[in-house]
Amino acid sequence: MGDGSSTRSNSSNSSTEKPEWLQQYNLVGKIGEGTYGLVFLARTKTPPKRPIAIKKFKQSKDGDGVSPTAIREIMLLREISHENVVKLVNVHINFSDMSLYLAFDYAEYDLYEIIRHHRDKVGHSINTYTVKSLLWQLLNGLNYLHSNWIIHRDLKPSNILVMGDGEEHGIVKIADFGLARIYQAPLKPLSDNGVVVTIWYRAPELLLGSKHYTSAVDMWAVGCIFAELLTLKPLFQGAEAKSAPNPFQLDQLDKIFKILGHPTMDKWPTLVNLPHWHTDVQHIQARKYDSVGLHNVVHLNQKSPAYDLLSKMLEYDPLKRITASQALEHEYFRMDPLPGRNAFVATQPMEKNVNYPTRPVDTNTDFEGTTSINPPQAVAAAGNVAGNMAGAHGMGNRSMPRPMVAHNMQRMQPQGMMAYNFPAQAGMNPSVPLQQQRGMGQPHQQQQLRRKDPGMGMSGYAPPNKTRRL
Amino acid sequence: MASNFWTSTHYKELKDPEEINVVNPIDAQRGISVEDFRLIKLHMSNYISKLAQHIKIRQRVVATAVTYMRRVYTRKSLTEYEPQLVAPTCLYLACKAEESVIHAKLIVFYIKKLYADEKFRYEIKDILEMEMKILEALNFYLVVFHPYRSLPEFLQDSGINDTSMTHLTWGLVNDTYRMDLILIHPPFLITLACIYIASVHKEKDIRTWFEELSVDMNIVKNIAMEILDFYENHRLFTEERVHAAFNKLATNS
Repeated sequence: MGDGSSTRSNSSNSSTEKPEWLQQYNLVGKIGEGTYGLVFLARTKTPPKRPIAIKKFKQSKDGDGVSPTAIREIMLLREISHENVVKLVNVHINFSDMSLYLAFDYAEYDLYEIIRHHRDKVGHSINTYTVKSLLWQLLNGLNYLHSNWIIHRDLKPSNILVMGDGEEHGIVKIADFGLARIYQAPLKPLSDNGVVVTIWYRAPELLLGSKHYTSAVDMWAVGCIFAELLTLKPLFQGAEAKSAPNPFQLDQLDKIFKILGHPTMDKWPTLVNLPHWHTDVQHIQARKYDSVGLHNVVHLNQKSPAYDLLSKMLEYDPLKRITASQALEHEYFRMDPLPGRNAFVATQPMEKNVNYPTRPVDTNTDFEGTTSINPPQAVAAAGNVAGNMAGAHGMGNRSMPRPMVAHNMQRMQPQGMMAYNFPAQAGMNPSVPLQQQRGMGQPHQQQQLRRKDPGMGMSGYAPPNKTRRL
Repeated sequence: MASNFWTSTHYKELKDPEEINVVNPIDAQRGISVEDFRLIKLHMSNYISKLAQHIKIRQRVVATAVTYMRRVYTRKSLTEYEPQLVAPTCLYLACKAEESVIHAKLIVFYIKKLYADEKFRYEIKDILEMEMKILEALNFYLVVFHPYRSLPEFLQDSGINDTSMTHLTWGLVNDTYRMDLILIHPPFLITLACIYIASVHKEKDIRTWFEELSVDMNIVKNIAMEILDFYENHRLFTEERVHAAFNKLATNS
């Protein structure tokens, strides 16, 4: 988003008129709905008429203005910029109804729909090249976030978008930063903020009531997603307990233990410090499963690099769990087929490309969320408008230059990572010579690194909201 | 970046002092001088602190709120953005950004309690409307880095981290928000300036430590001078002068 890019609607507009700023877009229709509002697909009026996903935040009903979720999402998205993270192109305020609109580059696909399509329609697994490329790019985006002290906290297939036709075809975009946190020094335990991570992708330390909330929780989720890409089924499909505000998710843990075996103090020394390890001794500690074996579930040879990487992501001890940057260096990504920039189309096609269904669009809903009386007409190719509407905000940028990546780069070597590291800090402040800024910058950051996780808590969480898409 | 200052919007948005001490033409028409402008911002910074003390909001949130307010006035006029509403709204917004969310009605309650003046009694809807206007005025840049962050490390590293030093430097850092320093300098340089003042004041010789830092001591000393100037002149910032400045704003030109 450029400077001063926000536009302001004329407050004299009545709510039935189309706000001024919206006139730069042609509304296509509604593509998602959630607790916080609606998501629309629109196109810019000026060529190349690129597709834009517009997320509308409703004014909260409790008289507390812009929702903290929206604030957090905007504040993070305004700071970050990476090829594998959704791009916020604009923020609009509509003063007539006090609503807030975030405009993103549109992404046609997401992993939830891709997996579902393979499972229900295609009838065969996703090809190795695609799985590897999707995973590499997901890790690449995550590594960027983690290096910037941002934990996503809600990674799941529907939040991992993939670009449709265009210059960025087949590129992964991590979306939905409503729960993301900067974890440098939170003022309150993160648990105070309620909802965190859909339970299927929730790390065992969180399920056991960990107070320490680290980037390792995102890596666990990536492991679950990796397994799901391989088998087309969620790896740990626990039944969610919804009794209390922050219920102990016994069934979810049980599903994990069945596949990975029981965690032991040997493998996970800090296990004893986790609250829930003691709250339900009978169920948690006493049961001893004969582990089914992860390799059997995902049908991988235990000696294969893919299995090695997956098992390192699903390491019980968060301190031992592989990090995003380590994962990117893993042997799995150095062997054929090498991961590529377009996850759908390899340079040397070895397998048949699959055409994925485009996102269903409800063309009868306007920006106010009002459904017109015209008879509905099918627009989308396939799929239904499920409650699990994928994160409908992504990137669809075809014409703008991408500064960090060579345009025609087809294959990414793991070493290519370096290209994604932060751009050199330009000497913006004339009063401080660049050299000194840099000289000072380094020790400053190291000092921050030493202060990792100053007592953040994550003691419980409200049941995840399945329809929370916005 | 959220944690890397050098890639952050905070860094990119740093301004020259000359850019900050510019009175908006609309305010200038009402006779607001650069000095009045400074006084009003100082007064409103103090007001935010006072409000925060009543609601029991932490210092970092206060610092963010003051930064938001000062940023707003680099782009908007005092006339159009009433300071008495902008200040508490910045606090309200900072609470959301810093994960210490409070209810708007709480802010409204304490505004009424603190401000005897009938004219500045705001309702929840005023706060919420101003919140949107502030978000826009801030260009939605909400991440703020503060000098507090590097303070404990610097104190420890320089070997002067005793309680009295910590208190003194912390207090000095708090006072820097009565000026526009946070809009001009990278926060760690403000930290160093405060440590520099404290070390001189307490006669602790840490010159070698400063020399070993690869940092331009001239800038640190300049910031320190500004802070000392502020203390020097503080007695001149009387209630009467603040009132006079606000009166100029109130007059219709």
